[in-house]
Amino acid sequence: MYELNICHLYPDILNLYGDRGNIIALEKRCSWRGIDVTISNISIGDIFDAEQHDIIFIGGGQDYEQEILQNDLLIEKGSEVKNAINSEKVFLTICGGFQLLGNYYTTWDKKEIELLGALNIWTIGSKERMIGNFVFECDFLMDENCDGKIVGFENHSGKTYLGDGVKPLGKIIKGFGNNGEDKTEGAIYKNVYCSYSHGSLLPKNPTLADHLISIALRQKYKDFVALQSLNDGFESKAHNSMIKRII
Amino acid sequence: MNLRLTFTIVITKLLVFILRFLRRGGTTLPGKVACKIYPGIIKNISKDLKIIMVTGTNGKTTTTRIIGQILKENNIDYITNKSGANLVSGIITTFIDSVNISGISKHQTALIEVDEAAFNVITDHIQPHVLVVTNFFRDQLDRYGELYSTLKSVKSGIEKSPDAKLVLNADDSLCASLSKNHSGDVLFYGYSENAYEGDEDLFNSDATFCIYCKNKYEYKNRVYSHLGGFECTSCGFKRPDSDVTCLNVEELNSSYSKIELSINDSNNSYKAKINLPGLYNTYNALAAVSCGHALNLPSDSLINALETFECGFGRMETIETDNKTIKLILVKNPTGFNQVLNFLLTENKQTQIAFIINDKLADGTDISWLWDVDFEKLIDIQETVSNFYTSGIRGEDMAVRLKYAGLYSSKIQITKDYEELVQKGLSNTLEGHSFYILPTYTAMLDIRSFLKKKYNLKEFWK
Ligand SMILES: [Zn+2]
Repeated sequence: MYELNICHLYPDILNLYGDRGNIIALEKRCSWRGIDVTISNISIGDIFDAEQHDIIFIGGGQDYEQEILQNDLLIEKGSEVKNAINSEKVFLTICGGFQLLGNYYTTWDKKEIELLGALNIWTIGSKERMIGNFVFECDFLMDENCDGKIVGFENHSGKTYLGDGVKPLGKIIKGFGNNGEDKTEGAIYKNVYCSYSHGSLLPKNPTLADHLISIALRQKYKDFVALQSLNDGFESKAHNSMIKRII
Repeated sequence: MNLRLTFTIVITKLLVFILRFLRRGGTTLPGKVACKIYPGIIKNISKDLKIIMVTGTNGKTTTTRIIGQILKENNIDYITNKSGANLVSGIITTFIDSVNISGISKHQTALIEVDEAAFNVITDHIQPHVLVVTNFFRDQLDRYGELYSTLKSVKSGIEKSPDAKLVLNADDSLCASLSKNHSGDVLFYGYSENAYEGDEDLFNSDATFCIYCKNKYEYKNRVYSHLGGFECTSCGFKRPDSDVTCLNVEELNSSYSKIELSINDSNNSYKAKINLPGLYNTYNALAAVSCGHALNLPSDSLINALETFECGFGRMETIETDNKTIKLILVKNPTGFNQVLNFLLTENKQTQIAFIINDKLADGTDISWLWDVDFEKLIDIQETVSNFYTSGIRGEDMAVRLKYAGLYSSKIQITKDYEELVQKGLSNTLEGHSFYILPTYTAMLDIRSFLKKKYNLKEFWK
């Protein structure tokens, strides 16, 4: 029997806008297939040992709360997070968690905040927020059964730009995405997946959820071939109704 | 006679009259017009009124209604705004509507529910004599920005009201922090340490860290969400002593709650039956009692009001039909929703539950918050629930949420059409049992007007 260990980093701080929906989706989609899941909540002051985990999740938070964990992430856990990324661990990071992995964040009044520097990306604060339902398209999800479209809700004021070596997660079809300018949304670097789509990203986009579970299993088990398919009736309805509504 | 004043009042009243005649229910336009013609009008016509304001993220309407009942018990005539009219223009309309054309009011008291984001603006015009603040929970974030900016904006409204008597929730660290540097009187209400121990998921908490020094709070007791006996061991900020205190929760059931409370720390305690279900409503009751106490009204009248109070707009309304009951309960954010679910867990008869989720502006356009609600707890009663219906603009998303909460997929039905929803729900409800409908704000308006037509009801709500 397969087992996956999922780590929720800073669940008590980066927990905005229903981000735990992503953890719930990973857990359920594993357990419906008989894959054992353990979830570890790791926060400030806790030891983070990347070897213990197969999928690492970081959510978004309010600006106020993000300052609290800056030190813990940069000084205490920083090198271990970078090790985990280099050893091809699967990451899913959303919104604030996405930004934190980058090089720096410049606030709209030109203060520069140094960040982890694990991904070659940077974020510039703007005064307007980019808010709303959005749709983007992921090449790596496209096959005969899937058009690769992902639906989500974004709400951020930071504009993120991708540097060399980092690919976008998808191409914006409707909405703002990383910065509202270059039609990119999110980022992929090694097995790190980042998005501005918070809340119910994975529950409503089961192909993306299964993609992450598959790479984690492939990393861990040599004999793993493919996931069995599930009845995604409700998920497809929720996904398609939003596509129909906004494009 | 002030001609400009009279002119503005006449125009505004005329507008109110026309809109009512057209059944537009327009409560905001007249206020906007009045402000344009005569910006200082409110200050002028409210100068002889004692003004009570109620704000906060959850429970404003219920708290306002209970305070209204308290005023009634004491034969105090008052003006008040409708719950949908709690933004600046709606409040202005309420004031103008209540005066004669010379700007004279026959009332002495105004009881005003104020949207937490509008409070800072309304205090530019008028300041409350008593301000009741219920709590700060995450609510409609995409509309108002972040929780802390809401708190800041209420704080700056309070700074413009230095003489106001504040009535604050002692158990809510965010709310309690509003007393800092306030020169007027402050009254606190809350739960004593041993009154009740909640079992909420701590991750779902809105204020984990000290607002002053960002150290993590320690809790002696937790009632629900971030409400409880908080203390920051680093800077010393902690739950203040309360003047009105719930000493014990004696009974919580699906139609009322019984608590024991003390007023002003006297050795006297009162047993009170609150004619509303749900733990969250006990806080609204404490807030209202504290407000009555701040107005120096006799304690017995405050306790009486809790029992005689009847449900207001949308919080819990019932319609009886064919010996079956439709119960409507508004849901709007994770904390409130969790409380409604806790209440549903007290239902031990076979039942049907419908969730109607919209994502219009007034509901909050982002429905991700559904993932912060602990629907997982419904597993405990899913044997007694025959069907979970989901409906509204985001009915499909709600179905996904319930599925991932671990409920039987076979019991989840997406039913978008209201006619079909009500027909199915009622026909599956046994005689003497209840059909629960939980809509978001705009869904509540829709389903009510549907039910009103269907059952040919006159105003069964006010
Ligand atoms: Zn502190």
